[in-house]
Amino acid sequence: MLYVIVGAGRVGLRTARVLRESGHDVTLIERDESAVERARNADFEVISGDGALEETLKSADLDAADALGALTGDLNDNFVACMIGKQHGCRTVMRIDEDYREEIYRRYASEVDEVIYPERLGAIAAKNALLGGNIRAVADIAQHLQLVEFTITDSSPMNGYSLSELELPANTRLLAHGKAEAALTTPDPDETLEPGDHLVVLADFDALADVRSIVVGAAGQQKALGGA
Amino acid sequence: MVTAYVMVKAHTGDADRLKTEIGAIDGVSEVHIVAGDVDLIAKVSVDSPSAVKDVAATHIQSIDGVESTQTYIAMD
Repeated sequence: MLYVIVGAGRVGLRTARVLRESGHDVTLIERDESAVERARNADFEVISGDGALEETLKSADLDAADALGALTGDLNDNFVACMIGKQHGCRTVMRIDEDYREEIYRRYASEVDEVIYPERLGAIAAKNALLGGNIRAVADIAQHLQLVEFTITDSSPMNGYSLSELELPANTRLLAHGKAEAALTTPDPDETLEPGDHLVVLADFDALADVRSIVVGAAGQQKALGGA
Repeated sequence: MVTAYVMVKAHTGDADRLKTEIGAIDGVSEVHIVAGDVDLIAKVSVDSPSAVKDVAATHIQSIDGVESTQTYIAMD
């Protein structure tokens, strides 16, 4: 897959890195010379120019690209890049600068398929790091829906039970299970839960407290629940 | 007749309500939700420059969810 990323700053360059690590091709567009240099030194293909101009974007072979990420710090530039990307059939992802705008762009900007607010994701990661412990909020899927990873401890009520014995509240789904050091997989009902195992659960906010007491017990850190 | 454009920066995602409330103000002839570093732009058509100030400073800025406004008076 080929992705075009407008903006090789802290968000764009990092996104390009993780895409490359997953085996994708990335073309970056950046107008600041020192940022262009930095990205080229990291072996990226970089087009030097203004990503809000059609000429620049055209030289990035948008028709062949699968998606365009408009990830500069400038809202106007990002929106224009998405408009042009959409005309060339790309899926478009736009970075925004303030959280209230997420709703506005989702609703009105038909040129923008996905809106991202990096600070929100950073806040979730920071919260998890600060709280530590055996509950990790992975993502807010929707306003009332959160993806949470739990780690089974010695004192977990479910320690020693099989996955088929796990009874989760309504509005909750077990999505994945992983042994301590192994990768997560789809849950096998016959697996026994042991300390260090991970469970990934999709749950309504209202049900999170119940999930916590069932899976990790009263020792679970309450503050880890809820959005960023 | 004086024409002016008022750039409105919000601090709420409830752009629909802002659009309705701004559109209902006397003297506002048009209002759009826009992409970019402001969230709405209102076109104001009133009798005098002081009436522009009245619309922007008094009415638009008093709407809940409006962070700030910037007004540009047309000269042509």
